[in-house]
Amino acid sequence: MAEVKVKKETNLSDATEVENRIKQLCQQFPHGITDQVIQNDMPQLEPQQRAMAINKLLSLGQLDLLRNSSGLLYRMKDVQSASKMKGSDNQEKLVYQVIEDAGNKGSKTWIIHMPVRCASKKKVYMLYNLQPDRSVTGGAWYSDQDFESEFVEVLNQQCFKFLQSKAEVARDSKQSPMVQRNSSFATSHEVWKYISELGISKVDLSMDDIETILNTLIYDGKVEMTVIAAKEGTVGSVDGQMKLYRGVNPVIQPTGLVRTPCGLCPVFDDCHEGGEISPSNCIYMTEWLDF
Amino acid sequence: MTAQEVRLCGLLLREHFGEVVEKVGTHLLKGGAQNLRTIIHETGISLDLVKKSLCVLVQHGACVFRSGRKGAGSPTEYQTCCDRILRILRYPRYIYTAKTLYGDTGELIIEELLQRGHMTMSGTIKTVADRLTQNMEEGRSMDYSEVSSAFFRLVETHFLQRCPPLAGAEPKDSATPAAPAPPGTPAAPVGVWNMLTHGDEGICWQVNFERFHLHFRDQAIISAVANKLDQTSSEIVRTMLRMSEVTTSPTATCTKPLSANEIFRSLPTSYNIPRPILDQYLTLLIDDPMEFVGKAGESGGGMYVVNMHRALANLARATLESVVQERFGSRSARIFRLLLRKRHLEQKQVEDFAMIPAKEAKDMLYTLLSQNLVQLQEIPKTPDYAPSRTFYLYTVNQLPTARMLLQNCYKTVANLVERRLFESKESKRLLEKSQRIEAILASLQASGAEPEQLTEVEEMITAPEKQQLEALRLHINKLDSAENQVDETIFLLESYINSTASTS
Repeated sequence: MAEVKVKKETNLSDATEVENRIKQLCQQFPHGITDQVIQNDMPQLEPQQRAMAINKLLSLGQLDLLRNSSGLLYRMKDVQSASKMKGSDNQEKLVYQVIEDAGNKGSKTWIIHMPVRCASKKKVYMLYNLQPDRSVTGGAWYSDQDFESEFVEVLNQQCFKFLQSKAEVARDSKQSPMVQRNSSFATSHEVWKYISELGISKVDLSMDDIETILNTLIYDGKVEMTVIAAKEGTVGSVDGQMKLYRGVNPVIQPTGLVRTPCGLCPVFDDCHEGGEISPSNCIYMTEWLDF
Repeated sequence: MTAQEVRLCGLLLREHFGEVVEKVGTHLLKGGAQNLRTIIHETGISLDLVKKSLCVLVQHGACVFRSGRKGAGSPTEYQTCCDRILRILRYPRYIYTAKTLYGDTGELIIEELLQRGHMTMSGTIKTVADRLTQNMEEGRSMDYSEVSSAFFRLVETHFLQRCPPLAGAEPKDSATPAAPAPPGTPAAPVGVWNMLTHGDEGICWQVNFERFHLHFRDQAIISAVANKLDQTSSEIVRTMLRMSEVTTSPTATCTKPLSANEIFRSLPTSYNIPRPILDQYLTLLIDDPMEFVGKAGESGGGMYVVNMHRALANLARATLESVVQERFGSRSARIFRLLLRKRHLEQKQVEDFAMIPAKEAKDMLYTLLSQNLVQLQEIPKTPDYAPSRTFYLYTVNQLPTARMLLQNCYKTVANLVERRLFESKESKRLLEKSQRIEAILASLQASGAEPEQLTEVEEMITAPEKQQLEALRLHINKLDSAENQVDETIFLLESYINSTASTS
């Protein structure tokens, strides 16, 4: 009994020694070592402690976890390959395998999950201390798998306000029409600077991001864009050209049809005289007439 | 002739000419060209009434007749077209335009001619002068020369035109309603008016709807320029359009080129802008993405044209976008505009460009698709059209969508008219009562009754009944003005569709 106790205590304090030993074994066998090899080398090591040591090395990024026909393999990790880890199902299987081997007490907390949005909707697990690549996370518009529509709306409104006030200032300046129009334009660089200085975004936005927001304003019919040639050195020019945006007024008022209840009616196609829904008994019309 | 058009024409005929004319008119619309016997047989109306109805329709230009298709000697055939009947909807707008351009005199001339269909000049002038005299103070009367000068001006600017001579076949049928002498004209002139009626019979005048339409189109373009740019630019465009009023054919896509010098000289004197500033405005008009004005050359300081077809197409597109925005929300409108710009897009691209979450974008696209505002184009990668190996692209086709919306407009107007008739019918008893009481009041006042008697009669209508009448009056006015508003949309869409049809 006393022997066992002593052994345990020695082993616990030698956790780092265990890790170092495993690392040495890995270096000895560059193609990878199995669990069995470690066990043979340190027979007194309990599976739990072995697992803990391996966990630590894996989390530190010093060991690679692989699988071959006979079982799990641990290999010294190559530093360069640690940059972009797009997880795959293989890794997950290995994870569970190792946890199983470590017995019931195998902790689930040894790899901290970072769920990452991936185009194919697969859950990707990565080691916590790595920064996921932009294409995997979806860019500035996604945070924690959710498309940030409120954020996009806020940016949309702010950009529009900026362009609108610029156009108003130009209009009120009462100068010649050409000067008025030119001063109502803002380059995408100017808008980007304004938004960055507003500080409403937690994430850094690039000029491309701002341009996608400005494009949605074009599709809203509130803004128009022209492209002009610019010298290669001027701030904000890309490939010798710059995009200019300016706020515009709508060209017609809401058309006559939509000022009637029929223009907005959800059951328009079902309505006919003598039917259940007809102009004579239409409740939308009654409401609209009494308005 | 769609079902909606026929329904609307029937309602308009009923309101303006009565049920018999409505029956005959709709029968002709649905059945094409028919001779008198067929009409009588199929509608079951007596010969006399059918003759009178056809009279009315021909008088107003809604029905044309020609010799039968089976060769000379076969009975005359009558044919109606719904275009002319649908114009009835626009009568208030014509009258209002005449008022703004030519004052009360012009307004009354146009009103008389619209009511009568066609009339001789002398008849029109006399009737209008009499009406104006009635509304003037005692002892004064309207000068005929004033009315006739207004008439001349209307003819000069082509708002009135002569009726085409009735060159029909020799009427074998005794029931042919050729009526060169329209009803309503005094058969024998009286008084001072003698000299002007000589040689006037048989020369009838009618309202030239096409000219009014050109005027409305110009107005629409000018107000669009004013909305998008500013007042001065719209004045420049107005000047250009005024200069090309008589030189441009109605179906042309753009006006004849006008030099900047000419434009400068023709600007109204209140707009005292220097020449270089005018050039700047013209350059801005050209650069505008809406392409209202185009440059056609460099001589004379620059030759400029107004692109009417392009402007109409842009206005029609703005109308479609407005309908989608009001009906489905601004995000659906964003998707709609995006598809109009980019022509064909996959679902994923729509989500990315519009920056709308995938689920909502899908929902909106399917709603628009179910309402036929957006179409799906399949492009297969393999010959077997397997869904997993096919591109599905969303697209918007402006012309078919405009046609569909036009039919919706017709249905809407018909709904509004039906509702108006229904509301009047519901309160028929009340309306009749109030009319009787008004008649009693008028006769009592004329015979010099005492105030107590008048108040006694007035009190026959109770307060809640008065309220009901007031509410009814408001409803009817609202429905009327709504009809006019929808007619504006109808005009834009019809102009665009006709303009596209004539250019393609």
